[in-house]
Amino acid sequence: MAPVSMEKVNKVYENGFHAVKDMTLDIGDGEFMVLVGPSGCGKTTALRMVAGLEDITSGILRIGGKEANDETPKERDIAMVFQNYALYPHMTVAENIGFALKLRKMPKDQLSAKVREAADILGLTDWLDRKPGQLSGGQRQRVAMGRAIVREPSVFLMDEPLSNLDAKLRVQMRAEVARIQRRMGVSTIYVTHDQVEAMTMGDRVTVMRDGVLQQVATPQTLYDQPDNIFVAAFIGSPAQNLYDAVVGEGARSIKLGSQTVELPESVVLKHPGLRAYAGKDVVVGMRPEHLRASSPDITGPKLVGDVELVEALGSELVVHFTIDAHRVIAEGALDKDEAAAMQSGEGVARVEAKTPVKPGDKMTFSVDTEDMQFFDTETGLAIRG
Amino acid sequence: MRKRKRTGWHRVINGVNISTLVVVVFIAAPLYWLIASSFKTPAAMGASPPQFFPSPVSGANYSQAFKQYDFGVYFRNSLIVSLVATALVLIFATMAGYALGRLPMRGKFTLMVSLLIISLFPAIAVIAPLYVLLKNVGWLNSYQGLIIPYTAFNLPFAIWIMRNYMLGIPKEMEETGRIDGAGPLRTIWSIVLPMALPGVFTAGIFCFTACWTEFLMALTFNSVNNYKTIPVGIATFGTALQVPYGTIFAASVVAVVPIGILVFIFRRFVISGLTSGAVKG
Amino acid sequence: MTTISTPVEEAPTGAGLVGRPDVNRKRMARLGWAFSAPALIIIGAVTIFPIVYSVAMSLSHVNVTGNGISLNGFTWANYSLVLQNSTWHYALGFTIIYTLVTVLVELALGTMIALVLERLAAGRGWMMALLLLPWSMITVINAQLWSYIYQGTYGVATYLFGVQNILGTSKPAIVALMIADIWKTTPFVAIIVLAGLVMLPGDIYEAAEVDGSSDWSTFWRITVPLLRPTLALAVLFRVLQAFGLFDLPFVMTNGGPGTSTTSLAILGYNAMFKNLSFGPGAAVAVTTALLVLLGCLISLRTFKVQVGKEGN
Repeated sequence: MAPVSMEKVNKVYENGFHAVKDMTLDIGDGEFMVLVGPSGCGKTTALRMVAGLEDITSGILRIGGKEANDETPKERDIAMVFQNYALYPHMTVAENIGFALKLRKMPKDQLSAKVREAADILGLTDWLDRKPGQLSGGQRQRVAMGRAIVREPSVFLMDEPLSNLDAKLRVQMRAEVARIQRRMGVSTIYVTHDQVEAMTMGDRVTVMRDGVLQQVATPQTLYDQPDNIFVAAFIGSPAQNLYDAVVGEGARSIKLGSQTVELPESVVLKHPGLRAYAGKDVVVGMRPEHLRASSPDITGPKLVGDVELVEALGSELVVHFTIDAHRVIAEGALDKDEAAAMQSGEGVARVEAKTPVKPGDKMTFSVDTEDMQFFDTETGLAIRG
Repeated sequence: MRKRKRTGWHRVINGVNISTLVVVVFIAAPLYWLIASSFKTPAAMGASPPQFFPSPVSGANYSQAFKQYDFGVYFRNSLIVSLVATALVLIFATMAGYALGRLPMRGKFTLMVSLLIISLFPAIAVIAPLYVLLKNVGWLNSYQGLIIPYTAFNLPFAIWIMRNYMLGIPKEMEETGRIDGAGPLRTIWSIVLPMALPGVFTAGIFCFTACWTEFLMALTFNSVNNYKTIPVGIATFGTALQVPYGTIFAASVVAVVPIGILVFIFRRFVISGLTSGAVKG
Repeated sequence: MTTISTPVEEAPTGAGLVGRPDVNRKRMARLGWAFSAPALIIIGAVTIFPIVYSVAMSLSHVNVTGNGISLNGFTWANYSLVLQNSTWHYALGFTIIYTLVTVLVELALGTMIALVLERLAAGRGWMMALLLLPWSMITVINAQLWSYIYQGTYGVATYLFGVQNILGTSKPAIVALMIADIWKTTPFVAIIVLAGLVMLPGDIYEAAEVDGSSDWSTFWRITVPLLRPTLALAVLFRVLQAFGLFDLPFVMTNGGPGTSTTSLAILGYNAMFKNLSFGPGAAVAVTTALLVLLGCLISLRTFKVQVGKEGN
């Protein structure tokens, strides 16, 4: 139960690769902090520096208030769950879980009681005498968790622990991991590349890209008020629609390609800085759920698109459309396949399930401008006050 | 426990590198001694204190080995025997390895274990009957008299290696071939064999080395000078009274260098051959 | 879109073919035996038959005639001769102790070398190549080299350590033999162990570090148990070789001085091909073979390795 703080922490590898750049982050006591970002963004490196498995090139790391840069992993009182679980193949589940306690020379009865306790929490009691080779992926993952929780450490470090599980199991385990963490109240740093995981599990989420911290906030804040284009594009599924647009006079409208969308006064009040961009280019962001099925006779800001594809999910329709505006793709926010598949001008909307629409239609959307976001084209930063 | 500092000169001069140096010296020293001594003049060979560096450098030992001592003959014999035996082993082991790895035979497992057990028998156990057998068919002091036993003794290990490699090839590869209409032999030749090539190299190098270095059988079966192999030749250079070390070493260098180079080139295969056994327990 | 409606039966194991399973299976099995035949025939002819014949020889009166040898009558005499023979007792003890000492030393040294090389940042490939050189050397050459080193008058060892007549004195001769063997074979053991080490998953070492394990504890609790199959293999190879010890003593000391470096194999060879006593010689050979089997079983047991069904 200790806070972790990083102050301008850097990691530069021997070959010159600058993996983590000036990272400053505070994790509160008992907080569940998620580090999320595309591969190579430095999140795992940061985690390993906290663990003591990587040297810190510069900057100060503090665990429980004490400077920890030169301490060994053992001295930091941390427990780690590895991506591939790193279970000792020759030891039973019980021995795996109890290994760290055995090293600390805990008396046998106490040790087995603690192991049993951890096993109960994770539902592993029937498997204590098996070896990892005899377990399924999900069970192995739980043993890795058990190894961490039995230590009752000051900090939990988890490196993409669920990424090797199949989709259904992953959803199940997400809830369990969150539950265990809340029950134990241990500060946790959790690394993942899956933004859905980040959103559902974290108290706060840190978005990283190319070794630089992009934004640290609660999931909802990240969703509603991303600080820059990258965060806007990265968080949310399906991804947010980002387009190049030109701000109209007095910031009362924006021009997307050949279409003009009116902006009510409330928008300008929310984003006063937008006025300075009148006549200039910005990037506008609209979430798929903010484009609702509409018809030409309904008033309000509207957008017309050519429907390319309709996905019927049962609860709603996901409509892929194109407009003649330029779609902005933040590098790294989408994986390469997604980005490649995206046509220029493609946008996504989520509409009611029973809307009569099919590919080839020209569809009118009502645009909910309240939660629209605006970004400077050059800096990528959000335009706010 | 403080973390080890790995900066500056510590990165070069540390426990690991020093120990490695020790290991290198440990291995290289006798090898150096072998090569250096082969270039000494006969007089310098018997010098006391010993000459650590040959001066003058002399190739006399080498010419003696080939001219006076028939080393060329021994080299030729070893080469013939080792190459032919290796070729036979590779062909038969590939076939048997495929059969035992891929084809549904009853008693496969028993067969594999029996092969392993047979390969455990020391040569001394079979040397006398083999001698009698070869004598009866008139194959003492011949090439085939060594080739066939060498083939037999190297087959189990080679089969083991080939089988392991075959098992590592995904079945889908063969099934694609079958669907395309290839018969079993064709499948082996065009699909399986190319993929099992590393195994062939591994088995090949092991077999060749074993044949090249084999002593007991070569000593017993081929005692006539014309058919002696290198190990026997080198062991019997000179008489009990006068051991011509110089010539012996010259011959040894000639014997060691080619196989050393071969093993160096194919070292990856040797190492994987040693470990494939470990993985399967 | 039409569906294909050919009946697909369960594919048999092994070749994964579609069709009538039984006929194909039988055909494949026959093919398998055909493929294995050449190998099996050669192996059988050269190993099984002679082994049986050796056993027969050891149990008969063997007469050497002009043309060959003839077996006359069943007898235990060869065995009783051998088992009561003091030279054989010595050879047995010598071979066993030789095996134990060299295998243990090579195991320890080889593992240490492997551990050092595993940490090596660069040049590991070269080191492995270097390690292979002694292994690829002909044992006879190794024997001659060390004979030269140990030579009484001008050998390097004599010069450096001042011990006279190494190969002419019993105890030093035995040690000298062992050193020559250890030099040649330790690199081989090191390679096997190194290859095994390299295959161990790296992240469990990080997990151990996080769990708080010291280097010493990690070595004994994690590395060694996981290396067990590798170590067992190395030991197996070595025990096999050591029991058949022949080349080194033959060249270096010819079994001497006296009989102090006479191994079981040398004893057998001398009996059969120097003294032409094939009966007792065969008895020595057969008992040696049995001891080899026993030695291997014990080694396997010690390492608790199971050569079990690998899911054929």
